[in-house]
Amino acid sequence: MKRRRGRWSSWPLVLLVVAAGAHADEYSFDVSQFEKKPFELNGYAELKGEDFALNRDAALYKLNYYGQPQRESLTRATETLELAGKLRHDIATFDFRTHSDFQQDQLGSDQNNKFYEAALSLRPRSDLTLEAGKRALSWGKGYAFNPIGFVQRPKDPNDPQLAREGYVMADGDFIWNPGSALQTVALTPVLLPVTSDVNSDFGASGHPNPALKLYALYRDTDIDFAWQGKGSRPARFGMDFARNLKSNFEIHGEWARILQFAKPVTDANGSVTTEVSNATSYLLGLRYLTEGNTTYIAELYHNGTGYSDVEADQFYQLVESAFAQPQPNPLLAKALALGQGSYGRPFAGENYLYFRAQQQDALGIVYFQPAVFAMLNLDDRSFQVTPELQYTGFNNFELRLRLYLLHGASSTDFGEKPNDRKLEFYVRYYF
Amino acid sequence: MRMRLSLLLFGFLLLASPAFALDGQQILQQVDRNLEPESYESYRKLIDIQPDGTRREYVLWTAKKGRDKVVALFLSPASDKGRVTLRLGDNMWLYMPSVGKPIRITSLQSVTGSVFNNADILRIDYTAEYDVEGAEEQGDRYLLTLKAKTGDVAYDRLKMWVDKRHQLPVTIECYAASGLLLKTLHFKDIKDFGGGIKRPATLETDSPLYKGYKSVMLWSGLKKASFPDEVFTLNYLPRVEELRK
Repeated sequence: MKRRRGRWSSWPLVLLVVAAGAHADEYSFDVSQFEKKPFELNGYAELKGEDFALNRDAALYKLNYYGQPQRESLTRATETLELAGKLRHDIATFDFRTHSDFQQDQLGSDQNNKFYEAALSLRPRSDLTLEAGKRALSWGKGYAFNPIGFVQRPKDPNDPQLAREGYVMADGDFIWNPGSALQTVALTPVLLPVTSDVNSDFGASGHPNPALKLYALYRDTDIDFAWQGKGSRPARFGMDFARNLKSNFEIHGEWARILQFAKPVTDANGSVTTEVSNATSYLLGLRYLTEGNTTYIAELYHNGTGYSDVEADQFYQLVESAFAQPQPNPLLAKALALGQGSYGRPFAGENYLYFRAQQQDALGIVYFQPAVFAMLNLDDRSFQVTPELQYTGFNNFELRLRLYLLHGASSTDFGEKPNDRKLEFYVRYYF
Repeated sequence: MRMRLSLLLFGFLLLASPAFALDGQQILQQVDRNLEPESYESYRKLIDIQPDGTRREYVLWTAKKGRDKVVALFLSPASDKGRVTLRLGDNMWLYMPSVGKPIRITSLQSVTGSVFNNADILRIDYTAEYDVEGAEEQGDRYLLTLKAKTGDVAYDRLKMWVDKRHQLPVTIECYAASGLLLKTLHFKDIKDFGGGIKRPATLETDSPLYKGYKSVMLWSGLKKASFPDEVFTLNYLPRVEELRK
């Protein structure tokens, strides 16, 4: 009996200890585990499933799936692993980002292993950085498009925030703070050499390809001036700006001029001429946040190197003619070559409107973000609408579901894409 | 009669004089300096607690220079590691390593998706953003009523209760221009960080807009530090981590 009472009498003490432990744990903060390390490695692994409803009448379907079993739909699974690492010593830092993916669908499988970035940086002073290696620069203020992205691979407007592969280059950063209205000035010189082995997809080999960006923060406005010298690609220059008109309302723009740009143009008979002229691309955009935490992004984009709806129509007629004849035939060979070149690139038209609306913490659920974005070809009125659901509430996990819906008549930009629907889901784990 | 009137008047003056003597601006300046040195570095942990008790934690390293330059680097969780936010006065940017360039963000947004918004995470001096509209004594506290200097400030009005003895905030209510209470900040656990810095190490936040949710901010390693101006520029954001010792 005594023992029993003794056991009960110790309960308050146990509860006190447990409660004290719980409180300490509730708000504990051990900063030592976040000390800077000489070597760091992190990244993410992703599983993605895609279901394509193929449009067998479309020109780009016919070209992309030529010689393969013809299908109404395609289901693809992709596993992706990206690793990012840093090695530090004194004023030097070596950092890298790898990308590996493995894709499998009913038609076959494919895999890629690449270094997206791998560069050595030296920081002799706080205002000076010198780099050499493979680097993915990101010039321009546009969200979906970047007309002044002279020394980078184009972004995917469907996933503008995805990491991209860089180019091998030497670059620097010089920062200056004059003060007063001109708060910051920064100069970024770049040399992007092209040989048969290095950066060969940038353009013609045998050129050092100098480029320069001058950034200024002047009276709360970001301004960039960009230039790329003639070399593997035609010379070009341009500028961008971004500014908050109000704390919840930002506007931005880009403008680029490409000198003597050579554009292959075909007629319906496959007769290709190369038009050489100066091309101007520009973009105007805004980002607006409502009191209810809805963000709207809109961008109007003119692609000076793109094809007008009349030029595109000639190409689609060529593909139609090529596939109306017994295959293979000379027209088909031309159509395939053009489809793999400038006619087949995504968003090859002249004028686009991009619009995105996203709601943070929708339905009162923190980390739940539904969104919808649309891309409209302003010349032929074809479009793509994509509703999206994203949840990031599980620690280090990201889940996203998207449905791409493409709409357009025959001989229009989105009407001639290989698929007219795509359902996509991925789960991504960061480590 | 005249004598009684004079005494009454004197009495009124005595009662009224402490209120007249209260210099709200001076108190606010003292609150700013007691909370943080003008230029400092610190580590912070942000904890989001959902209604079902599940939590999400972020760890940031922060550097501040002068009254209105702040940069914050996310160290954890892995999904956010390497993100950097920069604030220069009313201008804010977010740099994500995968995107490779800074984008402009707004003070009311939340880069963490929590009750804490960007203005809370990249807080600059109260005196840089607010004018003191009113100051009164309430027992062992002062109540300061603050009005935003411009429409770009995240909260239009603040009601700040200040502990008289420590000259530190105890509670801050944040209001929208419409008068809507957006959130309440509760400062707790005054801790000696060394170097003459003694301030609350815990900040709890609740919001009627996020019923059942709670966010907590913890401080560690807060100390005076000096940084060159170049650190607070867009071009430096990919390299902010190299500043940490």
